[in-house]
Amino acid sequence: MPQALVPVLISLRVAAAATLITLLVGLYLAHLLTRKRIRFGTFWDTLIMLPMVFPPSMTGYLLLLLLGRRGALGSLLSLFGVQIVFTWGAAVIAASLVSLPLMYQNCKVALAGVDPAYLKAARTLGMDEGMIFRRIILPLAAPGILSGLALSFARSLGEFGATLMVAGNLPGLTQTMPLALFSAVEGGRTNEAQLYLLVTIALSFVVIFIVGHAHRQSRAYREKGR
Amino acid sequence: MIELSIEKRLAFFTLRAEFSVDAITAVLWGESGAGKTSLLDCIAGLSTPDSGWIRLDGVLVFSSEDGMNVPTRDRRIGYVFQDYALFPHLNAEQNIALALPPDQRWRAMEYLERFGLGASRTRLPQVLSGGEKQRLALARALASQPRVLLLDEPFSALDRNTREWTYREFLELRDELRISVLMVTHSRCEAETLGHCVIEMIEGRTSPVVQQDLERGFQ
Repeated sequence: MPQALVPVLISLRVAAAATLITLLVGLYLAHLLTRKRIRFGTFWDTLIMLPMVFPPSMTGYLLLLLLGRRGALGSLLSLFGVQIVFTWGAAVIAASLVSLPLMYQNCKVALAGVDPAYLKAARTLGMDEGMIFRRIILPLAAPGILSGLALSFARSLGEFGATLMVAGNLPGLTQTMPLALFSAVEGGRTNEAQLYLLVTIALSFVVIFIVGHAHRQSRAYREKGR
Repeated sequence: MIELSIEKRLAFFTLRAEFSVDAITAVLWGESGAGKTSLLDCIAGLSTPDSGWIRLDGVLVFSSEDGMNVPTRDRRIGYVFQDYALFPHLNAEQNIALALPPDQRWRAMEYLERFGLGASRTRLPQVLSGGEKQRLALARALASQPRVLLLDEPFSALDRNTREWTYREFLELRDELRISVLMVTHSRCEAETLGHCVIEMIEGRTSPVVQQDLERGFQ
């Protein structure tokens, strides 16, 4: 395999893992904060959305303080012989954290957009809450969740600052496409840099296509609901 | 059989309902905004009265005194909503299958055919006509094997022509069902032609039950 393709694969793997994590965490948090009455709801909401406006390198530094050898979490983990900083896992954590707001926001809008009339109807039909979530809420919110997935994946793919801080720029290990691009341009390897550019254009195109499709689908659900 | 005595504070007045109906079809009649739907929601357990009790077919489902409030899914209520609330992502057959107990999902087609919807099996609710939507909503409510059927303005979304023959269908079904039906309407004519007994509702208060002689009208 050509050396230049290694960062592409690392990027795809990191972004896929981060997207899966944000899907589970983001959907759960969105469900919690839309359907249940949570104390200090606005505060939690703000906290989850913070990485959206926070400079990524700052987020990365924060993670470094937390997960580093002397950090609160890092020192605890090192007792068990686990080191997260400057590993593939750190890149996933960084990407997850910065893309969580996108996933959370999209899931929240999608869940809130499910007409409560359907939930009432489902209850009168004898369905329990778990079944209502799986068979009614999830399918009706699916277009919005899908758009959250696509945007979150794209954001993870483009993660640079936080990743560099907490995972470093280790070729073959934590060097994702944006980091490899930086090294390639700095080292004058134009062909390599342009390959990353082409791959990124193609992936971005797919992402925007999925978001547009999801948007049309959710509008169709809203219009035909009644 | 529906027996209740409840009070619930609403935005503009207090809902004070008290009646006991054993008739096959009881009609709750009153102007828009009189609290009819709020009362149905209380019976279905979708909203909670401030005080009182509700008994369905002899079974206590709500009692503020005993702190008892059976959740909606265990009340065995069939509820046809005013706008039907058919699930837009599921076709006619799937809409009914979800209401059936898990081991009886295969019976969905029976219900479709009984309500003349056999040909619409794989259609989504939004492409059905008004009359078909209403029949699907009714079929879905009955598929959950309710002991009481609540109908909220079931004919108001239909055009005049459809309404005429839907009344006839309703009368046939009513005689066949043998479960208590409580129907809400704002139309005096509907109340008088379809109900075995009529309860009037004004600003949240229910009148004494008036028994009706149904030998006239549509039959």
